[in-house]
Amino acid sequence: MIEVEGLTKLYDEFPAVTDLSFTVRPGEVLGLVGPNGAGKTTTLRCLSGIIPPTRGTLRIAGEDLARNPIGAKRQLAFFSDEPRLFDYLTVWQHLVFTARIYQVADYPEIGRRLLQELEMDDKVDLLPGELSRGMKQKLAIACGLLHSPKVIFFDEPLTGLDPLGIRRMKDSILKRAREGTTLIISSHLLHLLQEVCSHVLILKSGRKVIDGTMEEIRQRFSEQSRDANLEEVFFRATGEARETP
Amino acid sequence: MIGALIYVQWQSIKNRLWMRLRRLKKPKYLAGAVVGGAYFYFFFFRNLFAGRRRGTVAPEVLSPESVLLFELLGALALGAMVLAAWLFPHQRAALAFTEAEIAFLFPAPVTRKTLIHFKLLRSQAAILFTTLLLTFITRRFGGGGTAWVHAAGWWVILSTLNLHTLGASFARTRLLDHGMSNLRRRILVLSALALLLAATVLWVKRTIPPPETADLAGLDAIKYYVRRTLTSGPAVLVLYPFRLVVRPYLATDGSSFLLAFGPAFALLLLHYLWVARSDVAFEEASLALARKRAEMVAAVRAGSWHSAAKMKRRKRPPFGLRPTGTAAVAFLWKNLISAGQGFSLRTWLFLGFFAVCIGGAVSVSQQGHGWLLSTVGIMSVILGGYSLFLGPAFLRQDLRQDLVNADILKTYPLRGWQVVLGELLTPATILTGVQWCLVLLSVTMFSRVPGGDAIPLANRLSLGAGAAIIAPMLNLISLVIPNASVLLFPAWMQIGREHVGGVEVIGQRLIFMVGSVLVFAFALMPAAILFGLVFFLAKLLVGMFVAVPLAAVAAAIVLAAEAALAIWWMGRLFERFDLSTEPTS
Repeated sequence: MIEVEGLTKLYDEFPAVTDLSFTVRPGEVLGLVGPNGAGKTTTLRCLSGIIPPTRGTLRIAGEDLARNPIGAKRQLAFFSDEPRLFDYLTVWQHLVFTARIYQVADYPEIGRRLLQELEMDDKVDLLPGELSRGMKQKLAIACGLLHSPKVIFFDEPLTGLDPLGIRRMKDSILKRAREGTTLIISSHLLHLLQEVCSHVLILKSGRKVIDGTMEEIRQRFSEQSRDANLEEVFFRATGEARETP
Repeated sequence: MIGALIYVQWQSIKNRLWMRLRRLKKPKYLAGAVVGGAYFYFFFFRNLFAGRRRGTVAPEVLSPESVLLFELLGALALGAMVLAAWLFPHQRAALAFTEAEIAFLFPAPVTRKTLIHFKLLRSQAAILFTTLLLTFITRRFGGGGTAWVHAAGWWVILSTLNLHTLGASFARTRLLDHGMSNLRRRILVLSALALLLAATVLWVKRTIPPPETADLAGLDAIKYYVRRTLTSGPAVLVLYPFRLVVRPYLATDGSSFLLAFGPAFALLLLHYLWVARSDVAFEEASLALARKRAEMVAAVRAGSWHSAAKMKRRKRPPFGLRPTGTAAVAFLWKNLISAGQGFSLRTWLFLGFFAVCIGGAVSVSQQGHGWLLSTVGIMSVILGGYSLFLGPAFLRQDLRQDLVNADILKTYPLRGWQVVLGELLTPATILTGVQWCLVLLSVTMFSRVPGGDAIPLANRLSLGAGAAIIAPMLNLISLVIPNASVLLFPAWMQIGREHVGGVEVIGQRLIFMVGSVLVFAFALMPAAILFGLVFFLAKLLVGMFVAVPLAAVAAAIVLAAEAALAIWWMGRLFERFDLSTEPTS
């Protein structure tokens, strides 16, 4: 469960996110969409404890991120668009290190299973420099999933993945949602969000334009055509011009 | 077409300068510029102005023999560099372009020749800057008034060397294309060198009487012999072109410079024609080189100097890391892997064993050789002292390396102080290990003050134990300072984000260096006072042997408390740290 009340983040005087409130329940997948500079990444970074919010209350799986950051962070995993890895640790050493940080006693078993799922079990001794971008992304995912988080944040999760990787990622997201994990995905790939998200939150200039289930949003913005897709909804909701070059 | 390339170069330089001027609006850069400017003035420019105003500095006049000797030695050095260009490289010719230049220029309708000219033009910017720097360093523009002669001389040397290196790389590629392997080429070059050396030696043996022992007693006699050897026989022919290149630099006035410049410039032109007429495919290798350079730049900008400096290899972990236990140990484990295998437990055991064996062996046979022992002992003491200040600059396996990964570190379920402590552990452990070895060497070897009395073993043991006790805490304090600075002034410390350079950045670093020394001295004061008190009391009560370690324990406790407070405070800073709000250059 993710509960956000009045989240505001200022960079000096500039409001990146303003008074944002929403809730995501276990098993729900929230798609965070908006034009560039809407505040999506800032929201995710605040939610994962990377940057402190200027105002507002954030609760991760019931734990207040400001009052009990350790408890909250034990429950979450954050995957940035650019996988951040230690260039001197091998694939397996990344898992060993992460296990100690999160105190995952049975990490060898979980780690091996994750690497197998991600088709990386033959790359345990490789350094990040020897991996393709997609493989690095997978390694970051393996590290993030090692402690079985209840809440997962994805910032542009499909960047650098090949078509099979994209398919696997979508399946993995849906599988974890079915298992009761709460997920937030920020992406510009609206067709992806349409396929995997149960809910959508549209941001513009740091403010919430609308949020709700995919169906609610669609109904709200489909006066002319009942089967408007998320792309149509996005353009109507944000008032963005949709011009064909 | 070349006009467009000049435009790119000119605009890049102009924009870079403008950006640097604009950032002087920020106090941190303005302060850095003032300090950096003062540094350059006092170190380089003062002599120029002083020399002109007062005219007190007498020109340094070299004797013709000395000029000849310098010319010969310069020619030898240049010859060695040229030889290296033919001997060592093994890659195909590659011109250093940035990735952006490759993206724009390689697919554009630009001839290979134009690209070579662009490269030559661009290397001139670097050559002119190096010329200026070398002129500053070698002459400081002072005394003699021949600064322009030296500058022009350096320009000829550097430009010729640059063209020759490029031409040699084209020639090597051509040889490779014609089926001559690197090994065969090297054998050929070495054979030619061996032939030349043999011919020179034979000539010298036949024509120049071998020097007597008495001839080699003085420096002047040696200089004379070198001059004679290099100005006769085959050496004259071999060194001649190199001497032509060096000669303008050594000209003592304008007219002798012009005389020397003509042949040197002709040689430079020949080199230019050689390079410009080369039609060698360099695109593919240039692409690989650009990628490699981009990776290196990215690694340096990310604060990961070690990964930029060498090929990454898998490194064995220093010890097995269990999945449960103190989290700080995980950082120690991780950063020790980063530091490399050089710091495994086995290495420490080996170093300790080595120090004990050497120290013990030399101690046993020290009669008559005490000076050697003492010298090693004194060196160990000096190195130990220096390591306190230089160690933190070299060992950066801490927040300075990891803060670019702040996004990951901050998602970990750890308190800020745990992360900070973990990050400090590795450099502190390595430094302490090195210092303990040095202490061991000092205790075993520093048995006598040079030209003075023997130092009793008891005193050495006592001082050694004191140093060993206090070293870890001193290291923690000395490491806390740069790491706290990274958290307090990330934009000053250049932990990544953006590459910065210039006089103002040199000034910033000077300010930081002075500040660090002051903070370190201030942090040591309470410990030093307590050390003094405990030492004098203990010396009166229990004697010198116990007094030093006891005082060291007291001082170490104070330092540990200071370090603990600093780590707690840095933890709070880390928790509030927001790299995204830090202004970059």
